[in-house]
Amino acid sequence: MPRIPTSELSRYLLAGQLSRRGCLRASRICLQPVANFQTRRFASVETQSTSVPPTPLRKQLKEQAKALKASGQKKKKNIDNQTVPGWELTVGIEIHAQLNTVRKLFSPATTSFNDSPNTHVALFDLAIPGSQPLFQPETLIPAVRAALALNCDIQRVSRFDRKHYFHWDQPSGYQITQYYEPFAKDGRIGLLARDGIAAEDGESIAVGIKQVQMEQDTAKTTAQPGEAHWLDFNRVGMPLIEIITLPEIHHPATAAALVRKVQMMLSAVDACVSGMEEGGLRADVNVSVRRVDDTSGKLGTRTEIKNLSSFKAVEDAIIAERDRQIAVLEAGGVVEGETRGWSIGSTETRRLRGKEGEVDYRYMPDPDLGPVVIDPQLVQRLASSSGVSPDVETDQLIEKYGLTAKDAISLLALDGGARVQYYYNVLDALSELGAETDAIVTILAANWCLHELGKLTEVSSDLGMTADGECKVPSRDLAALLHHLCRREITAKVAKELLWAIFRGEVAPGGVTEAIKDNNLWFNELSKAEYEALADRAVEGEDKVLGEFLRFADGKSKAYPRGKLMFLVGKMMRAGPEHRMDPTSAERVMSTRIDDIYLDALGNKQ
Amino acid sequence: MLTRRRLQALRLRHAQRSIPSRYQRRQINHFISKEADPVPPIPAQRTPFTLAVKDNITTKFSPATTTCASPFLADYNSPFEATIVQQLRDLGAVVTGKTNLDEFGMGSHSVHSAHGAVSQEKDGYSAGGSSGGSAVAVANGEVDLALGTDTGGSVRLPAAYCGVVGYKPSYGMLSRFGVVPYANSLDTVGLIAKGVGRIREVVVRRGLWEVEDGRDPTSLGRKARRRIAQGREGYGGEDVELEGVRLGLPVEYNIEELEGGVRDAWVKAAGRLEERGAKVVPVSLPTTRHALSAYYVIAPAEASSNLAKYDGVRYGRRSEGESDAAEGGVLYAASRGQGFGEEVKRRILLGSYTLSSEAMDNYFLKAQAVRRLVRRDFDRVFRLENPLQDEQETFDLSEMSEEIPMENKLGPAEVDFLLCPTAPTLAPKLEDVMGGQGVLDAYMNDVFAVPASLAGLPAVSVPMLVEGEERMAGLQLIGQYWDDARLLGVAEAISEVLGGKR
Repeated sequence: MPRIPTSELSRYLLAGQLSRRGCLRASRICLQPVANFQTRRFASVETQSTSVPPTPLRKQLKEQAKALKASGQKKKKNIDNQTVPGWELTVGIEIHAQLNTVRKLFSPATTSFNDSPNTHVALFDLAIPGSQPLFQPETLIPAVRAALALNCDIQRVSRFDRKHYFHWDQPSGYQITQYYEPFAKDGRIGLLARDGIAAEDGESIAVGIKQVQMEQDTAKTTAQPGEAHWLDFNRVGMPLIEIITLPEIHHPATAAALVRKVQMMLSAVDACVSGMEEGGLRADVNVSVRRVDDTSGKLGTRTEIKNLSSFKAVEDAIIAERDRQIAVLEAGGVVEGETRGWSIGSTETRRLRGKEGEVDYRYMPDPDLGPVVIDPQLVQRLASSSGVSPDVETDQLIEKYGLTAKDAISLLALDGGARVQYYYNVLDALSELGAETDAIVTILAANWCLHELGKLTEVSSDLGMTADGECKVPSRDLAALLHHLCRREITAKVAKELLWAIFRGEVAPGGVTEAIKDNNLWFNELSKAEYEALADRAVEGEDKVLGEFLRFADGKSKAYPRGKLMFLVGKMMRAGPEHRMDPTSAERVMSTRIDDIYLDALGNKQ
Repeated sequence: MLTRRRLQALRLRHAQRSIPSRYQRRQINHFISKEADPVPPIPAQRTPFTLAVKDNITTKFSPATTTCASPFLADYNSPFEATIVQQLRDLGAVVTGKTNLDEFGMGSHSVHSAHGAVSQEKDGYSAGGSSGGSAVAVANGEVDLALGTDTGGSVRLPAAYCGVVGYKPSYGMLSRFGVVPYANSLDTVGLIAKGVGRIREVVVRRGLWEVEDGRDPTSLGRKARRRIAQGREGYGGEDVELEGVRLGLPVEYNIEELEGGVRDAWVKAAGRLEERGAKVVPVSLPTTRHALSAYYVIAPAEASSNLAKYDGVRYGRRSEGESDAAEGGVLYAASRGQGFGEEVKRRILLGSYTLSSEAMDNYFLKAQAVRRLVRRDFDRVFRLENPLQDEQETFDLSEMSEEIPMENKLGPAEVDFLLCPTAPTLAPKLEDVMGGQGVLDAYMNDVFAVPASLAGLPAVSVPMLVEGEERMAGLQLIGQYWDDARLLGVAEAISEVLGGKR
């Protein structure tokens, strides 16, 4: 389901329709007499466009529905994008992930992110003449964990090789990698429909991992105005693993899903520091096409697209490159084996400058570095301590807590796995408070941990989430908030405002209940009689609307006029004191009174 | 720091190197930088001695430059000092200067230098290479000890040509940290002195052999050093008797190119040692004839990789005017083309080719296979086992050439050391080297030196008189891995017999 922008949603709600618990964006609207409402509505429209005349609600809804449909169609078109009739696409992926280590791969310099440039650099990192590589064995721990998560065979003996090419971001003129004898081979990664693979791939698909190798990162280049490039050697020599899949992927969405899943698996075993968003993961894709009726059994000439830094870029670049190759072949041309680049938002890949023209990396065993021998005991130890796999955990979140697959995967993916820990902490705190942790509560908690918490960072700094699942909104305080909300002791609106207050540090830790008490925020709901009085006022002069209900009661129309009901409830809500009203209660009262009183009255009138 | 003008002058000399000027021939030109006011050793109780350092070994001060005789590093100051220099300073060394060499250690006559060719003082003979400057400094009596590097004979050959002692240790014994690499898997730090005694003093008696350097990944671990030494003699520094020592004469070393005078001196020396109680037996090292080719595949391959960092951006100068960094072009080619000397460029090309995907299997891998066979040849003839091999290999007679007499195939061939010439000829005239000699002639000089390098074995060259010529050649003694202490002990005894300096 496409998400409706919250700005639109709030406009929709303020325009006279009901607000449902849990859907209204926290916004400061003070309750005012109905007379003032019109002006407020215009004001909110004005933020979109200054001269738009007020649109009738009905028309607005229709337009939105149309837009929704249009975007839905667009989505469908994307699915069609997964295949081109008559052609088969083949993709292999190389994923480079920064390992979660303290030191660089071959020097005792510490690893860092966004520290002052060129402050963590050892002699060898700069290839100072006479300096030598010193392998840091600790780097093996996250590397082996990652390879185990990808079901690889860990090799007892592996070696380091030099891969030669000239580039300014690589001081020695070669990168040390594991070409001939990588430390892990023959793995496999399973992808499920819920991971976002293309519909054509069905319920699940397994993609083979050819090998996983350790290697050095290069320096970071920052382009400056003019022709200048600045280099930050903090990154040079940082340990990476390169994960090479077999060319077994045939749909762009599946390729993106694979990269996303690898990221999730790596963070689940604590092998990597950060994901694609933070630059800790990069992907190169090898793309080739051949005609479906090609019986030679050979794949087409492949091109490599380097340095893709988002899941969307992976999918888009593959689609663009596939279409380019097909266009070239259909025009009678030949696809050149070359390296290409992709910029976010573009529609086609571009040829990159050749590093040495035809690149021959001249792989050579590094003569300074001995073989790496990994004790099988270490492998066993790491295998037994690696915890639950993301797939199993996703299943648990769906089955035990009733979450949707999408929410479950989002929870697992956010904050490098810390968000789901936070979620568990909130649930624990809720049961300590004596709350029933049934599906209603677990789903509500998940919504808040994902979406409400997410909104906080849309406009402000980050949550400050720690690995053990705590953040600027302490899990206990969110639990207390949700506990009150579940028991209808506060409204959703108040709860959301309180969440902001906690985030901003305006509520002392553990002081949620105090804050509600002090500010008199308890939900003091209208009595039934008061609701009824409001309902009576709302139906005044709405005989035409009530007529619809009569038609339904008489069997003249098949569908219950729910829209009309909501219209009346909305009127009720606007007329009454919102902070004392619950839309559900209002709806119940309105519905009952229509059936019991208004219809009779209307019948009598007619 | 060199001035720009001096830099230009260096470049010019480098470019004109192939045409030796009268000026150059008069100069012995063995120092690249000399310390006017050497820094005395800090521990005052040590007996100070003077030390010359080959200019591809980094020094941080006195002198501060490390040029590798390359224009790329003409004004290069290393931010750190090589371990071996520090160790020797701690033992009382006073560094008096940095010596001339073939650029990055690539050459056999010390002529491929940005600073011009080195020559021996008398009569303009080749000093040998690549540690020619160090050998001449010792031969002239200017320093007590000199550091060189030996990748395929670069310490032993100049020692032989200059009539001094040159020692190449077992691979992994002396730290390479701070040695600008030429071919890492072959590079060793070597020592040159007038007599074996001084070298033995430093390496064995003062315990350099024992010290592991954590900054050099190829430096043998402390425990391994001790363990291997337990199966070896001589690490106590005691005198070694020649009586009963078995010396093998490799029959394959009697090659066509071996000069008659050198051959006679070799045979005569063997005879004199036999008189002193040593047992001399012929042995066969069948892979010897392939060793030189293997060396000239492996070493340039590693060199081409090691020298990739010299690109004109961080080292040396960006060539002006010819920058072709535009679309599809390459940024470094012009700078590298101008910056390196001919011999270095030749080896980079050679190495780049043998590592290329089309040639890798036929050259680099074959050369590595030959390298293993060379090591196996040695293991077969030495009485001591090679501690680097997990299990003792068996040797198949059918693998040996039919020309080899049966008795040599089967043994008695287990020996303590191999005795052979260091080089097939006496030092040639520098004029001849720079004028007419081809590249392969120069490579040929390394033929007896490279097998020990390929196998990582210790070897020492001591001077021996070539009668008739009244000049000195080198007699080489090669030992099993980590048998350095006994090797130096026996070498000292042999020098005494041959009438050299202790």
